[in-house]
Amino acid sequence: MPPKNKGGGTRAKAPEQKQEAPKKPQTIRELGWQWYYDTNPHQKAYEELGLSGMTPADRQAYFDQEYLKPGRAKTLSNKAQKELWKRVNEANIPLRNLPRPRDDQWGRDKNGRDIGDYTVEEFWEYDEKRDRYVRLLYSSIFFRSNNIRAIHSEVPDGAHKIYTCSDEELEAERARRKEMAELGKDLYGDKTDPYALDPDWDDVVPIPQSEPEGALAAIAYPGDYAEAMSYLRAVMAAKEYSPRCLRLTEDIISMNPAHYTVWLYRFSIIEALNISIPDEIEWLNEVSLNHIKNYQIWNHRQLLIDHYYPAIAATPSDVAALAESEREFMARMFEQDAKNYHVWTYRQYLVRKLGMWGDAERQSIEILIHEDVRNNSAWSHRFFVVFSDPAYATPDSHATEHDPKVPAEIVDREIQYAKDKIILAPQNQSPWNYLKGVLVKGGRKLGTVKEFAGQFIKNLGDVSAEEVRSSHALDLLADIYKEAGEKEQAQLCLTRLGDKWDRIRRGYWEYKKKMLDQP
Amino acid sequence: MTSSPDPDQPPLDTARHIRYWQRCFRSLLPHHYTANDSIRLTLGFFIVAALDLLSSPSSYSEPPSNPSKASLITPDDRKRLRRWVLSLQHPLGGFCGSPHHVLPAKYTTRWDPMTETKVALDPANANIAATYFALLLLGILADGDGSKAYEGVKRTETLRWLKRLQRDDGSFGEIVDEDGYVGGGRDMRYCYLAATIRWILGGAELGEPEDLNVDALVAHIRRAQTFDGGMGETSMHESHAGYAYCGVAALSLLDRANPDAAAQPNRYLHAGISSIPSLVYFLACRQFDYVDPNSDEENEDGEASNNHELPDVSNLNLSDSAHITGFNGRFNKVADTCYAWWVSGALTMLGESRVLDRGPARKFILEKTQHLIGGFAKHPGGPPDVYHAYLGLAALATMAGAEGAKEEGLGRFDPRLCIGVEASERIAKGRQALLAPPEEDDLSESEKEELERIKKRLNWDKTLERMERMKAKWRAEGRIASLEMEKWNPYDPPKWNDSDE
Repeated sequence: MPPKNKGGGTRAKAPEQKQEAPKKPQTIRELGWQWYYDTNPHQKAYEELGLSGMTPADRQAYFDQEYLKPGRAKTLSNKAQKELWKRVNEANIPLRNLPRPRDDQWGRDKNGRDIGDYTVEEFWEYDEKRDRYVRLLYSSIFFRSNNIRAIHSEVPDGAHKIYTCSDEELEAERARRKEMAELGKDLYGDKTDPYALDPDWDDVVPIPQSEPEGALAAIAYPGDYAEAMSYLRAVMAAKEYSPRCLRLTEDIISMNPAHYTVWLYRFSIIEALNISIPDEIEWLNEVSLNHIKNYQIWNHRQLLIDHYYPAIAATPSDVAALAESEREFMARMFEQDAKNYHVWTYRQYLVRKLGMWGDAERQSIEILIHEDVRNNSAWSHRFFVVFSDPAYATPDSHATEHDPKVPAEIVDREIQYAKDKIILAPQNQSPWNYLKGVLVKGGRKLGTVKEFAGQFIKNLGDVSAEEVRSSHALDLLADIYKEAGEKEQAQLCLTRLGDKWDRIRRGYWEYKKKMLDQP
Repeated sequence: MTSSPDPDQPPLDTARHIRYWQRCFRSLLPHHYTANDSIRLTLGFFIVAALDLLSSPSSYSEPPSNPSKASLITPDDRKRLRRWVLSLQHPLGGFCGSPHHVLPAKYTTRWDPMTETKVALDPANANIAATYFALLLLGILADGDGSKAYEGVKRTETLRWLKRLQRDDGSFGEIVDEDGYVGGGRDMRYCYLAATIRWILGGAELGEPEDLNVDALVAHIRRAQTFDGGMGETSMHESHAGYAYCGVAALSLLDRANPDAAAQPNRYLHAGISSIPSLVYFLACRQFDYVDPNSDEENEDGEASNNHELPDVSNLNLSDSAHITGFNGRFNKVADTCYAWWVSGALTMLGESRVLDRGPARKFILEKTQHLIGGFAKHPGGPPDVYHAYLGLAALATMAGAEGAKEEGLGRFDPRLCIGVEASERIAKGRQALLAPPEEDDLSESEKEELERIKKRLNWDKTLERMERMKAKWRAEGRIASLEMEKWNPYDPPKWNDSDE
């Protein structure tokens, strides 16, 4: 039935309603509700007044709108349909309407905030970002499917490649993925890992770590470490040697330099790609300075030198230049820690490999001993440089063995050097050990330094007047007496050491007294 | 001989340490430990071994009635941790350092039809240190008396892999790669790890040629003694207390594994060290009077010194007996807690632990490096870490045991394996079970006779020999045996007469 007082009834009520809620919608939720009521004009009346309270005109319009829903109009008879359409026209009922908003229809953003609470402007921004993300996603999917064809299509040699992937496309894809990553992070809090982002790595299927429940010493890895490791495992299993793998090893090494297979893998890549060894050594220098306690670094360095040496072996100037640059770098390492065992071990290897025997090396060590006369590593290296020199020493002569081939001048020189350094700090043990080692090496009797040792001791045996400036001198004296067969004197020295001059080691001095009976 | 507690000696606060270890055990290590990712087995070993040492039967004043309940490691823990350790085993022998080194099966093994053996695709992932720690862990985690400790361990594969790690000069490396290249240094640590693995898995019982070249190994260790009595990487390297321990322990374990041990008790120990008195000298010198570094002392550039403070000899007072002594690893270096262990362990194995002075050493560890939150630090005043915390306990237990005393709350200690004595006994039992002969087949007498008859009828032994010869011939020609055999007609295989080759 056409509403007779169509305008009057609704218009009479409408101003009241408008006065009750005149404010503009602040949030998108409110805007949503506004749209809902705009497209369902009689809904408000229905809610507030109920079917019995609504005016007949409103009621009719409300029902008509129900009949506008898909398929329902056809259920009426033709005559009723015509009347329906006439009424709808006159009442300006919207032909399509929005569904009733639900509270949770807007969802939450990455911070847990309800999107429905966004202001209208915020929401449009958000929506725009979402739209952009989806468009980028589709472009990326398109690129991926093309790219895979480009990589995997088998082309007979010399034939024209049908599927190609040009550099511009690659760059565009990189930019696209970067933007997607940012948007994803912004919108959804997605953390996209650098390797998943890089289209270079699309063809590699990472192998993530799997460990059973209840692991021991589990570490809270940062996300990028776990991801980089899964890519590393994949390329190592496939034994791929390429520049991208080199970069991957660098990444892993920066996070875990003690990984015991990645260094070997890196070396294999360097061999396979013929990377310039001096460049690699420069890179390694930086890493060494950052991780001074790591020994795999020095192992790697050794492999590099082994690999590089045949190329320069024929040119002595190149070898000398390498020796100099290595010495310089080792000096930098020694500034940080003058006793770094790995560096000293490497230095010994280098001396043998590059033939760095002789004065230059010895003087370099003398500088270190001058800086710190108690640097036992430097003393040890000196012994090696002097007594393993292939120019005059017996090859593979053991450190504790007499080597008759060593010239007497060298032995004399070393004895004098040790004595000079002992005078500087008589209680420093390093040069005393050195002195004894040199005497044994040179086949000299310990008794030849009896006077020297004696100068640090006065009135031995006289408890009140005894003066000892170096307990090591007293120890050496005991050895000298033993060598000469003067057991009682030796025992006196050891007793005085145990009683007063080195009490902490009284257990040892007792032991040594026992050993006096043995050769 | 138990001595009454010296009032001057601080107590070991085991409750604090137990809390520290429980924390390490139960919680995730923070991300700063990422650089230790490849040695998770090592870290795990220290944690479990410490919990075991702090709750072993001998750590209680009265032996507990139910040792398995008294232990800080519950039976459930043992099961799941065993499973975790075994998951790190490489299919072709050896263990990997951490789950990141364990690849899925198809990437680790390949069947080589030429040699008819399985070959490792990623042999470098199996690591000698990881294998050592894994075997010790399995021993500690074993239930009961330990006879099932090594179930699931591939004994033969691991020993064969270990053999490939030995170089011609007798030294060992850390890993071996596909080309047979042995990576890693050549120092005493690997010798020790190899000797331990050989003992636990019964390498000596394999006999030649599969057993390690023991004489070469001993010669390599012998060559390590330096001019000042200690041991370095070689005789020309600097002497180091850690290497001294590893050398002595390696020889000691070679002696333990010696089938002829009763007749020649210290054969390898004497063969491997050219001068034991010099080594004792070196180890005795590692203990020194600890003097707190003066903060206002004139120091060049204000940097911490690399050397320990020297006492003024000319000013010695008889009453100045050393109250606190630290240990260093090399001449003139500063005190570091772990060297108390390396030195006392080495001297105990040499039988000369009396050259050390236990009281002052103990005071250093407990007063200077014992930390408020538990554990021990590397240097006085520093933060504790898992490595030094365990070795601090090891040092205390070893020094106590050497004097016949007991450290309150710590069990008895085995210096050769660096674990508690009860755990060491479980390993010995597990080892025995590994070496026990396999069970006889369940064939009755009549079945055995029938088997013999069938074998005779088929000329079985001759046939097997012929097969071996043919395979060798094909291999020499570069052909693959299984493919050649596929060419035969299965219903009409070639008949071999006795006159054939």
